[in-house]
Order: sequence, then C-alpha cells, then structure tokens
Amino acid sequence: MKKTGVFTSSVNRRTFVQGAAALGGAAALGVRPGFAQEPAKPSEIIVRAWGGSWVDSLKAGVSDPFTAKTGIAVRHDLTEDNEIQPKVWAAVAQGRVPPIHINWDTTTNATKSALRGVTEDLSDLPNLKNTTDLAKPVGLDGYPIVNTYGYVYVLAYRPEAFPNGAPKSWKDLLDPKFKGRLAFYNDGIGFHFPAQVAGGGKLEDIPANMQPAWDFITQIKAQQPLLGEDPDFTTWFQRGEIDAACTISTNAREARKNGVDIAWTVPEEGCKFDTDGLWIPKGLPENELYWAKEYINFALTPEAQQVWLDGLGLPGVVPGVNPPADLVNDPSYPTKPEDFEHLIRISSKVQVENESDWFAKFKSIMQG
Amino acid sequence: MDAVEAVAATLWPARFGKAIPYLLLLPAILLVGLLVLGLVEIADSSLRTLDTSTFLPSDYRTLANYERALTEGLFRTVATRSLLGAVIVTVLTLILAFPYAYLMVRTRSAGLRKLLLIALFLPFFIGQVVRAYGWLIVLGNQGMVNEALGLIGVAPLRLLYNYPAVLFGLIQYMLPFAVLMLAPAMTAIPEELESAAQSLGANWVRTMFHVVLPLVKPGLVGAGLVVLTLSLTDFAMPAILGGGSQDFIANAIYDQFFRTSDQGLGSTLALLLVAVGSILAGLVFMIFGAGTLASRGARR
Amino acid sequence: MTMPLSQRVVFWTIVICVLAILSIPTIVVLGASFTAGNIIAFPPEGLSLKWYSKIAGASDLWRAFGRSLYVATVCTIVAIPVGTLAGIALAKYRVRFETPIQVYLLLPFTIPLIGSGIGLMLLFGELRLLGQLWPVGIACAVINLPFMVWAVMASASGLEPDLELAAANCGAPPLSTFFHVTLPAVMPGVISGALLMFILALNEFLVSLLLVDARIVTLPVQIYNSIRSIITPDLAAISVIFIASAVVAVVALDRLVGLEIFLKSK
Repeated sequence: MKKTGVFTSSVNRRTFVQGAAALGGAAALGVRPGFAQEPAKPSEIIVRAWGGSWVDSLKAGVSDPFTAKTGIAVRHDLTEDNEIQPKVWAAVAQGRVPPIHINWDTTTNATKSALRGVTEDLSDLPNLKNTTDLAKPVGLDGYPIVNTYGYVYVLAYRPEAFPNGAPKSWKDLLDPKFKGRLAFYNDGIGFHFPAQVAGGGKLEDIPANMQPAWDFITQIKAQQPLLGEDPDFTTWFQRGEIDAACTISTNAREARKNGVDIAWTVPEEGCKFDTDGLWIPKGLPENELYWAKEYINFALTPEAQQVWLDGLGLPGVVPGVNPPADLVNDPSYPTKPEDFEHLIRISSKVQVENESDWFAKFKSIMQG
Repeated sequence: MDAVEAVAATLWPARFGKAIPYLLLLPAILLVGLLVLGLVEIADSSLRTLDTSTFLPSDYRTLANYERALTEGLFRTVATRSLLGAVIVTVLTLILAFPYAYLMVRTRSAGLRKLLLIALFLPFFIGQVVRAYGWLIVLGNQGMVNEALGLIGVAPLRLLYNYPAVLFGLIQYMLPFAVLMLAPAMTAIPEELESAAQSLGANWVRTMFHVVLPLVKPGLVGAGLVVLTLSLTDFAMPAILGGGSQDFIANAIYDQFFRTSDQGLGSTLALLLVAVGSILAGLVFMIFGAGTLASRGARR
Repeated sequence: MTMPLSQRVVFWTIVICVLAILSIPTIVVLGASFTAGNIIAFPPEGLSLKWYSKIAGASDLWRAFGRSLYVATVCTIVAIPVGTLAGIALAKYRVRFETPIQVYLLLPFTIPLIGSGIGLMLLFGELRLLGQLWPVGIACAVINLPFMVWAVMASASGLEPDLELAAANCGAPPLSTFFHVTLPAVMPGVISGALLMFILALNEFLVSLLLVDARIVTLPVQIYNSIRSIITPDLAAISVIFIASAVVAVVALDRLVGLEIFLKSK
C-alpha cells in the first residue's frame, strides 16, 4: 500500500475512520488498473485559477498540500476562465500540448468545452464515490468535469441604503432612489432566472418563454444600472457608487473582510445557484494527465474541501465539510434541502445551449 | 567601408535604384504580413457558424454571420457609437494636442520641455485597472470633484459611466500619441516664418491658421489617423469608464470571442471593423494625398 | 520665441488642462500607494510603506517585470530597423500604390487588438512558437509598428533632398550617404519612435495575454489577472515603481543622447 506514497496517512485514516469500505484503500492511493507503477512525476503542474482570495484558498486547501504529498509543484495560471477558453481550444485543435493541466472553471463554460470534446474523462477518480450528486455534471455522459462546490448569485447590498432591513424582493430594486445605484454582471449572468420570476414568469418556461425576464430587465434598465465584473462591484461598493448588486457571495464576503460595509440576501423570487468544477484538457502527456487527475482526486477529499471552501465560503460536494463560522445558516451557504427552496438551478445543458442568446438579449436591452 | 560599398555595389548596382524603396519597405510589409496571415484564419472562421450542441464551428461555409452582424440592432447601435466617438475624440484630441506640441517644441526652457515630455509618458504606466480606480477617486459620486461641488451646494453629478466619460478617457489615452506625432512636424517649421508673418501684421490667430497649420498638416493628418483608428478599435475605455452600457465594436467582439464562445461572429465583426477602418484611412490618404505625411520636399 | 499675450493665455490654459488630465490619475495613484489602509484612497489613510514592502517580497512580480523588459527590448530591436527603413522609403521616394501600401501598413491599428491577438495566437500556435517569450516581442513590434514608421517619416520629411544629392554629387557612395546623411537626419524620429515602442511593449496587455502561458507571464498580464474580488493598494505601489523606473530611463536617455534633439525647433 505504501508503494505509491501519493496520499499518505491523513487521507487514508479519514477514509477508514469513515468506514467507507467501498472506497477501496488501494484506489484512494491512486493505484489503478493499468498503472502497475506510478508514472513519472512532472516537476510542476499548472492549474488555472481566479486571482485574489480565490487562488489563495485553492493554494491553501489543495495545491500546497498536494505539493507536500507528491513533491510536484503547482503553478497557478490566473488567466480568466473566459480568456483561457480560446487558448485551450486552439491548442487542442492544433494538436499542441495545452497551456494548463487543470482548468478551474464555471460548470457552464466547462460544459461548452466538454461538448466540444476537449475534456478528459474523469469517471475513474476514486474519490468520486463519496461525493454528493452536486459533483456530477447534469446532462453530460460520465464526468468530463467534476463539480467541486456550489455558489449563489446573491443580492448584495449596502445596509445603510436599506434602513428597513434586507430587501425582500428583487422588485425592491425598482425604487426610484436606486436609480444609477445598482450593478449587474456585464452579460447579466446570475440575474436572468430571478428576473424571470420577478417578471411574473415561470422557471419551467426557461428557455421557451423568457419574455417575463426581459420585461423585468427592461424595467431595471430604466434604473440605469452599472454593468461590470467582480472587482468592479467591490470597488463600487467601496467608493459608495452603488447600493445593490447581483454578485457571487464569495466576492461580497471578501469585500466585507476588507472592511466594506456590505450584506447579502436571497430575495423571495430566489437566486441562481450554480457550480464550479475542475477539468483536464486533452493533449497532455500520459504521465502529466495521471498527476493532473490525482490533483482533482485530492481536491475531492474532505480535508482539501474543508480548507479550500472555508476560504471561498461555499458549500462543497463531499459530506462532512463544515461551513465557516460566519456563514452558519447563511442563505448563500445551503446545507439542508429546505435551504435550496429559494435557489434556482437550471441544467448546464439548457444554459449552455441558450446562454449566447440570453447574453445577446440582455446586452441589447442594456446597450439601447 | 570601401569594401562594404564595393560588395553593396556588386550586389546592388545603381541601375536597380528604382527598386530601393520597395526593398526598404519589404521588412515592414513582411512583419505586418504576420497579422495578415492571422486575418486569413479569422476570415475563414467568420464563414462558419457556431453549433451550440457541440460548440464546434460548422464544417460548411456560410455568410450567416455577416447577415447577423449587418442586421442586428445591437451591432448597429454599437457601431454607430464607436464611429461617432472616434470622430469626436479625434477632433478634440487634435485641438488639445496642438498647443501642447507647439509649446513643447517652441519653449526656450529645456526644463519645461522635459516636464511636458515626461508628463506625456506617465499615463502609460498606470495599468487600466488602476487608472480606472484613479478616475473613480477623482470623478466618482464621492470623488474629489463632487466633494468640491458639494462645498458650493451642488448635488453629486454622475460624471462617470456614461458616453462622455468614455470619450474623455479616450482623449486622455490618445493625447500623448497625438502630441508625439505632431511634435516632429512642428520642429520642422522654421520659427522665422512665424515671426515674419507677424511682423507683416498678421495676428497670431491668422499666423496659426495660415502659416503654422498648413505646414504642420502632415503631422495633423498622421496624428488624426492614429487617434481615429486606435479609438475606433479601442476596447479598454468603454469597458472601464462606460459602466457596461457604452460598448464599442471591440467590446462586442470581445463578448463573442470570450463570453459566448462564438468565434465565427467575433471574427466577422473584427473583419468588418478592419474594413471600415481601412476605408476611412484610405479616404484620408486620398483626400490629403498619399504623400501627405511627408509632403514637403520633392521626393525622388 | 515671444508669443502675444492672448495667444499665451489660450495656449497655456489648454496646456495646463492637458497636463491635469494626463497627470491627475497618476498623482492620485502615487498618493494612494502610501496608504496605511487596506483600500486605495486619496488622500491616503495614514502613511506607510507596507504596500511597497509587500511587493518587494513578491519575487514572481519581479520575474514578470524582467520578462516584460525582455519583451520590450525584443520589440524595440525589431521595430527600429524595420520601421526606419519603411519610414525613409515612404518619406523620400515616390512609391507606386502608395495609398494601398499606407493602408496596409496601418493594419496594426485598424485590426482590433483582440483580432490581432487571436490571429497571432493561431499563427504562432501553428508554427509551434507559443510558450516562448520572443514571439511576444515580435507581436508587440507588429501591433505598434505604425508609430515607428510614422515617427521616422515625420522627421525624414524635414530632410533636405538637396543634402543627399550634394553628398552623392561629391562622390559619396550610397551606403555612406545613407549612414552619414540620411540616418542622422531621421535620428530624432528613430529615438522618439523607439521610446514609444519600448514603453508600449512594456505595458502591453491584451495581445500578450493570448500569447503567454503561466510560465512566461509578463507584468501587465500578471497584475491584471491577480485581481478577482478586490483591488488593493499594492497595485498602486507597482504603478509607482513602474513610473519611477520610467523616469529614470527617460533621464538616462536624456543624458545619453539628449532629448532636445528631437524636439527643439530649428
């Protein structure tokens, strides 16, 4: 058992303590059929990650422990997920070795890559056996991607601007006093589905009839919202430019940690819930592929998830990960089935097939 | 040197003289050729549509992307906004750059000249993100300008995240280029010419319009073309100062390449933009004469 | 020269406005970099050098800075001969198809940077050149080449053809004429063009983003990508160090060749 020496004591002890016999000790150690001996270790592997607290969390929870266990250095490529995509696609199309070993990606973007056929299959990762349903991508065969946690596009707000407490509904944002003081993502991501509900439509009508969403977004447009990306929102909150934004809870939490007066809520219409995942592009040398898989396998251990997701403040895909103290019972950290009642989850397949139309529609409303 | 001359003369007899300019141009034409090879790839991908069930480009060719690009209202809005913006920015930038270049060239103080020169290069070194933050501190709702206005009882004005803010940002970004293109043309004007005009009774406005401007025309045309083409294709300013609702064409291209993964449509928009920019540049060259950038002095 | 009072008022008003527009964000960022607080603010919240000490220890930033210097050097070395020759050709000679050639040489500006970046990524990928740094320098040379060409053209247009003719008539062979008469005459344009090429390559972001990978990331790419949730004052400190090194470079250049030569009126 010791001959691989990959994931030593702590992981094993945990798996045995949990009595997860089905897991199989040997498999957890990375010994798989076809690999009598572990393949040569590359000096480093490259993991694409988001910058700031995102990469810091990954480093603390997954990369550094992985390096400690395997001796393989982990380099982080901080190119945005959207911007690495054409680079990876071109590399695969041209038969080159891709610029990264592992892509930490939104499930939607990862699904596009999976549909395009540039992802390696990850079904044989041993640690998949003790993950929840959330880890499995919906509407795809096997595991071209492994989802590693979920997140919520919350309504973040400046408490000072809402003296009566958290906004109850997305419609509260139509109050004239918020004119010019709202912010959304450039492409409207995270807001299309709650807008569908707020506009009086049904989630079942997505994607066939999203007119209610467009009607509500048109009303929001009259409020002259700002559009931007994560760092813009933080900056705007910091500088008092905006009172509310639809953003990922992690960024709101990071802003709060840095002294920005900010809170968040899930309004009655609900918030979009989605997942991020890890995947491996095709075209890597055999041994590097092996160690890239080991990295993802390791990211699915409770130990790795606990530290990584404490940093992100997001719920993982392995049972037994505890929420950080500041997020116990927080609506952005769903743990129980009833927590999901107000969260809207649409399958990646539907999203991927229609997203460009939704973005275009959102843009044409906002650019008008 | 003589030996080198001899070798050169053997390799390149004087009767080949006519070919010299083309030979001098060849390296530049080859270097820009790299972009043309890239454009060929882009042109091919512009003829393929995206299949969102496989996220692969179609294996047949079609003009569907061009039809979308030319008919969808969003692209028309964005194209009009960029074209209009580029023209406004060009005119205003030239108006502001002219006196700056003039003073920089004509001042007797070497210290002032250097100060003016260094000030031109400063903005390049603050990355866009930090620059945007700087403007927010100055022009934001709670920024310095609005605080000052508040002291005299004016309610906060929205100075950022609108069309004028994007144009302002572009002008700031383009000013150094314009001044640097104008300055060499300005240095070539003999100062005595102006003095002569003034001593003949022309006031300074007339001197500027009738003596300096015509002589500095090559510089103005050059600076104008730089500003026009660079602002037409700019991506950063609309992104950081437009608040997301003031996109230019390059932002729409970015969205297609990076957000919706539709490289075909992105390529189409990029090619159309290249066509518009090139036609504009060609018109300028034709109106002002192709040799306008170097009009003085007989050319061989 | 002496300017009439009204002209002086008008010109100085505009120049002061331009100076303000150019330098205010820089001054704000400069001040903000010395803040003791955790956010970029002006005036800074208390004075400290903590953000400078933070970046002083960030070896990956310094390595990225070194790579940017390398890229800028490659770019300038490529652009100087290519741009100078083309500039001289266009300024001094009658060239057939001059308008099409001018429009062609302007392609780097008429192609949006994203298009250039994607095109060069595909091309360099096909040629298996990605993953190295020098092609990034070439790319920077291409996308900014018109600056080099035009800077040289502008100064070559001031060149008296008679002078060259005189040299030739005195029996000076063509190469001598080129090196002793033509080249010195366009030197101001070469210097200003080269300076601009270097600075632009040092700060280039969008095209580099598509051409580098994590092992050879350049400074602007590194900085931009390190931001996700929040912008901290270390970015301001980096800008200040960048500006300081630029000022040092400009002063050194001034001492070496004298910036006067390409600005002083005749």
